[in-house]
Amino acid sequence: MSVDRRAVLAGGAVALVVPVTMVANGSLQALSGTTGGSAAAPAPAATALGAYLRIDSLNNVTLLIGPTEMGQGIMTGLGQLVAEELMLNWSQVKVEHAGPSASPPNPFANPLFGLQLTGGSTSMRGWYLPLRQAAATAREMLLAAARQLAPGKTWALAAGGKVTDGTTTYAFSQLVETATLMTPPAKVALATTRNAIGQRLPRTDIPAKVDGSAVFGIDVQVPGMVYAAVVHCPTLGGTVASMPASASGAQALVNLGNGVAVVAGDTWTAMRIAESLGSKIKWTLPADTASRDSVHIRAKGLELVGSTNAVPHIYETTGGLDPAVAIANAPTRLDATYELPYLAHACMEVLNCTASVSATSAEIWAPTQGQALNVFTIAGITGLAPRAITVHTTYLGGGLGRKFDQDFVAEAVKIAKAVGKPVKLTWSRKQDFQNDMYRPCAAIRVQAGIDANKTLTAMLYRNVSPSINIQRNSKPGNNPEDTGAVAGALDLPYAIPNRRIEFVPNPADIPLGYWRSVGESYNTFAVESAMDELALAAGQDPMAWRKALLAADPRSLGVLNAVDTLSGWSKSAAPAGSARGLAFLKGFGSYIALVAQISLSGGKIKVGKMFCAIDCGVAVNPDQIEAQIQGGIAHGLAATLWGQVTFAAGVPSVSNFNNYRVLKLNDMPTVSVSIVPSSEAPGGVGETGVPCVAPAVANAYAKLTGQRVRTLPFYPGATMGGL
Amino acid sequence: MAQTLKLNVNGANRTVTVSSSDMPLLWVLRDLLGLTGTKYGCGIEVCGACTVLIDGQREHSCVFDVTSAVGKKIVTVEGLAADADGRKAQAAWIANQVPQCGYCQPGMLMVTVGAMKAGHHGGEIASEVEHICVCGTYQRIKQAIQSL
Ligand code: FES
Ligand code: FES
Repeated sequence: MSVDRRAVLAGGAVALVVPVTMVANGSLQALSGTTGGSAAAPAPAATALGAYLRIDSLNNVTLLIGPTEMGQGIMTGLGQLVAEELMLNWSQVKVEHAGPSASPPNPFANPLFGLQLTGGSTSMRGWYLPLRQAAATAREMLLAAARQLAPGKTWALAAGGKVTDGTTTYAFSQLVETATLMTPPAKVALATTRNAIGQRLPRTDIPAKVDGSAVFGIDVQVPGMVYAAVVHCPTLGGTVASMPASASGAQALVNLGNGVAVVAGDTWTAMRIAESLGSKIKWTLPADTASRDSVHIRAKGLELVGSTNAVPHIYETTGGLDPAVAIANAPTRLDATYELPYLAHACMEVLNCTASVSATSAEIWAPTQGQALNVFTIAGITGLAPRAITVHTTYLGGGLGRKFDQDFVAEAVKIAKAVGKPVKLTWSRKQDFQNDMYRPCAAIRVQAGIDANKTLTAMLYRNVSPSINIQRNSKPGNNPEDTGAVAGALDLPYAIPNRRIEFVPNPADIPLGYWRSVGESYNTFAVESAMDELALAAGQDPMAWRKALLAADPRSLGVLNAVDTLSGWSKSAAPAGSARGLAFLKGFGSYIALVAQISLSGGKIKVGKMFCAIDCGVAVNPDQIEAQIQGGIAHGLAATLWGQVTFAAGVPSVSNFNNYRVLKLNDMPTVSVSIVPSSEAPGGVGETGVPCVAPAVANAYAKLTGQRVRTLPFYPGATMGGL
Repeated sequence: MAQTLKLNVNGANRTVTVSSSDMPLLWVLRDLLGLTGTKYGCGIEVCGACTVLIDGQREHSCVFDVTSAVGKKIVTVEGLAADADGRKAQAAWIANQVPQCGYCQPGMLMVTVGAMKAGHHGGEIASEVEHICVCGTYQRIKQAIQSL
């Protein structure tokens, strides 16, 4: 039985045609056919109600979501929205990855931008209203079903996924088949209760993540599958000139253009052969290695940041005065250049993808943030129509922006097509580090002027960095813009009357990608370091200085006040031998202020405490917001202290965690989080914890030592010992 | 050279044919036995994601020759629920809502349970956890360990 219903998701310009289909025995289950982890118990018979909900015979409600769970807790957060609207007990709620649907429009596309992609801290922002409306629509259809079964009575929702008239009670499972036949109401009211939204509910995915049953991409097992590894050209931009036709122990070698895949009976054999193959492959190296060399790229950045000949993209001009003139006339001036390195993603789970390709269909199981792009990628390689392509999203062992990209998916599909069998491709850690899509390096010059009244009158900001957008989209006749390159410097809420924000692309050829917090990850370092330098130049306390400049913006002021109280900034000096540094960001739809309290240990920075205040609108799950802030701080701190990839004529300097230092348990500061109560629409959370770390630490360091550090990382070349 | 071996994993006897006797235990567990809870992170004993217990000792399965595991008791994350210390650690991880992406957590749990089996407690265990968690769940790992 299959009935089409139109569910209109109001609250935006989004109208989705939602198929309502009977689904038996969990056949929509994202990983059916796989046996990774422990075998799941057979699912009880279930009926779909709209595109997003499935109600089974045990009265469990399964929510199908488009966003990818990569540790940020989005399954839980979205589950809470549905639990609220349907008055569910939390134990009834299950959440699974879904989509893209076989035929457009894809109901799992993020309503903010119409594609199924996870990034930019947009999942809760995009789905908060649409999903609540979809669940509220389901609620009304279930009530309508009760009225149909027993007319003349007044039915209301009851806790635990039930409908009651006070005498008779139906479980949703008894109503759902009838409910699918009801006409969805044009308008629905949203729940005003707060039994799930705003509560510290436990995550739905954690039990599977402590017993080994969670299936990550790397864990996927498909019947008849073979295993593949890959060796890419050691020099970025190189291609295969010639390669052996076979290798002992390998089932096949596949030319991937910029690398060679080895297919074998297990991952280890494939990786070992791939490693030994390196010397037998002849590579064509790129003609231009300077554009892939850190020394050259850095020099180019420093040249462009100061050049009057460079033609900048101007992304913001504010005020009646040319900031250059205003600064020249100011009695107190700042002219500072900040530098940040290329960074690797270093997801804990290396890149991998399992693919199965036939003449008529293709299927992948992947740790992916980019389902919509996966379909294009697979269609491009196989020539199949999108409806013949299935993408199964697994859990991600970290995404961090890297798993948005398509290279690893394309490789798996090419290998599967070549060998005619399902194949699981797993990159070695070395391949993962050396073939990353790196966070761009940046040289950022901030010039600013303070007048005789200690007023900040002008700012001239120039970011010089390789552009992700230009690298990906430049074609003859197409000169893309990249406002993302100055994200974190645009629309600053500070009262700075005259400003100009410029971007000059650095024409380097290192492959670039989106790294957790993207543009803010470098611009916030420059902006917030400069704000501190300016406060000190004006003889002001950095907290008071920022508060004065944000006086007209209550939410910005709110997080500054909250972090002031939390950290004791204005109340008492930092403990002896330590100092505090402050940074602030309005970004990702949220407001965040961070105080780092640091000391020196053996002459090196030790961050003992971090105090963070965040206003992210409605706080759907405060516990998970705190977790994301803790994790974001850990990520930002590793980058601040040690994160760096350099390139010698196209060869990356890092190959494993031993030469790419990340945070360990002993390095972790104690993080306190204050969530500012708000009823505004939810803002982003996943990335907000990262950008303020570097400037807060650098500002604390300047306070502690009198030395201003404008180049990251603090300790380049850091290594990490074995266990 | 291919070789057939008998292994005891999580209390069950398993027979497995490896393509080469120097295949690390990690890949035998994952690819040949379908026990994918044990994770590959670095392959060079830096991250700890691959940690298992062998006769109660914490070992990095990414460099542990499978032949050396013959005749010993191998415990992986999938076997924790059958062990009192394992269940205690899992419960502490859930109570403190530790995992984010979860990928490093099997290794974190195994090293913790290994330390418990060595008679260690609280802060003592925390000082032995040198594994990598890129998600940065350390604060909650500390809390969970403190409660053991
Ligand atoms: S995979 Fe064994 S220690 Fe990292
Ligand atoms: S929870 Fe993601 S790496 Fe530890």
